Amino acid sequence: MAAPSMAAALAASLPAPSAAPTPVAPTYEAIPPSMSTLIDVEAEIPLECVQLDGLVVSKILKHACDSSASSPIGLLLGIDLDGVLEVSNSFALPYHSGDDDDKSAKTVARYQASMLRSLKEVQGDDSIVGFYQASTLGAFFNQNLIDLQAIHQDKLRHSGVVVVHDVSQTARGNASFRAFRLTSAFQDAYKKSNFSTASLASHQLTFSSILEELPLKIHTNPLLSAFLGEFSSPSRNALGSSSGSAIPPSFSVLDLNSGGLTKNLEHIVDALDNYRNEEGNLAYLSRQIARERAKADNYVAKRKEESAARVAQGLAPLPEEDVTRLFKIPPEPSRLESMLQLGQVDAYAKSLAETTSTGLVKMYAATAGSGV
Amino acid sequence: MPLGPPSSAIHIQPAVSPHLQNAPRTPTSITIHPVALFSILDHYLRRKDDQDRVIGTLLGTRTDTHVEVRTSFAVLHSETSEQVAVDMDYHRAMYELHHKVNPKEVIVGWYSTGSNLNTYSALIQNFYSQETAPHQAIHVSLDTGVEPGQPAGVKGYVSSPVGVFPKPENCVFVPVPVELRFRDSERSGVDLLTSTALSSSSTSSQPLSDLTILESSIQNVISMIDRVLTYVRAVLAGEAKGDAAIGRYLMDTLGASTDDLEKGGFNGRLQDTLMISYLANLVRAQAEVSSRLALVTAS
Repeated sequence: MAAPSMAAALAASLPAPSAAPTPVAPTYEAIPPSMSTLIDVEAEIPLECVQLDGLVVSKILKHACDSSASSPIGLLLGIDLDGVLEVSNSFALPYHSGDDDDKSAKTVARYQASMLRSLKEVQGDDSIVGFYQASTLGAFFNQNLIDLQAIHQDKLRHSGVVVVHDVSQTARGNASFRAFRLTSAFQDAYKKSNFSTASLASHQLTFSSILEELPLKIHTNPLLSAFLGEFSSPSRNALGSSSGSAIPPSFSVLDLNSGGLTKNLEHIVDALDNYRNEEGNLAYLSRQIARERAKADNYVAKRKEESAARVAQGLAPLPEEDVTRLFKIPPEPSRLESMLQLGQVDAYAKSLAETTSTGLVKMYAATAGSGV
Repeated sequence: MPLGPPSSAIHIQPAVSPHLQNAPRTPTSITIHPVALFSILDHYLRRKDDQDRVIGTLLGTRTDTHVEVRTSFAVLHSETSEQVAVDMDYHRAMYELHHKVNPKEVIVGWYSTGSNLNTYSALIQNFYSQETAPHQAIHVSLDTGVEPGQPAGVKGYVSSPVGVFPKPENCVFVPVPVELRFRDSERSGVDLLTSTALSSSSTSSQPLSDLTILESSIQNVISMIDRVLTYVRAVLAGEAKGDAAIGRYLMDTLGASTDDLEKGGFNGRLQDTLMISYLANLVRAQAEVSSRLALVTAS
């Protein structure tokens, strides 16, 4: 009894606790309509185009040159503003060859986190909006890209974009960047991981409807424009004679060589071989499925006959058996791989067509002056 | 291709004597890749309001007398009238991250925007020299041309101690010529950015087809030929004095005979190109038909 009274005495001696300040109810102000396009909290404004900053262009080009990986990958940082996804910075992801998946995934995640943290401290943008991949001869349909994009599409707002850069086209003189997103039809099929023939037909999926292209723009901020303008104008030396500008115009696109054609043709042949192998596998599997199904049907038919015969003899019919336990019918194979292969073939052929068309023009231009 | 305002300074390097071969030589020229410059500009754009100039680290490769700057990244630093502070941990962390992607690049020096070299520059140069020991750290100062009176440009320096007792906060910055260099593959990227910068809204849409680029190049060549033509006509009409050197050069260049493009070779090449074009279209049609067939067999 003493304890409670002592506690009470102690409590009485303490200064009365001040009443906790009543929490101020947060007042919600509606976003004024003039600002509603800029402050888009719910990601309601759909993306219409992607805008790359000049810095991102040069960084992607440099990473594509330097990297020894077959398809260098990196992340894009930026922000979306009123239907335009502005990409203001990018960084490369390190390449692991031959590492097992667990370790390399963790290293990449750690690298990504520390890079984002460091960039935030120097007031850079730190929200990932997508990733880029550099490929040769326009063939970027691989499983890796699709997996990564599917993951991003789930987690990022506005379902991040892929920017694809073609190294060989850049070497020919046309720096090319394209932006893509997975179509919703493909996303449905991917989520269910169901790429059987029936599902393809229901979603109307061909290789050309896996990705939808977004218009892409390149933007140089005024400081960069001023710098570039300064460098490309010819400068005057102190001695009075003019020296060339720091960035003289280049005419490498007028080169008459045709070295790229043989490589392109080789790639087409390889891709077609891969596609044929894939189709062969699919055909084998579907034949197996048909065989198993035929055996199961036969078994069921025989049992029905036997049951009918026993009923005719007056005995109890045989119990129904679960056919699926006896005959294992393998599931329908996924046709995703063959679809991707076909996409590769198409991409190679497309870049081949472009090369030959420019080659034709160049050949006629070279003979223009000589009346051949 | 020199950057920066022209100077009439001549750079002299004493001939190396045999017993000094092992000591690292001071760099006599610096080349910069455009990526590093654009990163510096971007960092300058993003600086906080109270920062006058920003600094960062330069990464690249070096040979005996020549340093090639490939990348740059920003470093946190604060500068008041009493002291200067550079965040070394941040610098180390970022260097580690960059090293993972590009193992060949090492720290070669540091950059700052704004061209004034003061005591703080000397201190920071001393710190970076410790990082790049035994080689010398280079310092690149980039003038953004934002302040009036300062032309935009890039200047490079190496430091050497000065004074009776060398102290870290005193050093002489010796200018070193800086050049812009890019690889062939980066070339078309720079062309793209330059043409984007010159367009009215500084945006250009992608993807441009090869034919568009070819067309603009050919237009360029046509306008060059027009200029030459007016000049030659003026000289022939006696209005302008002709320069013999230019005349000889024109004759050599434009008179190159196209006999080796004789009919046989040209036609053969033409047929090859047309055949490949037809083949490409055929492959595309086949791929499209095959993908549609896959849909049909299901139903």
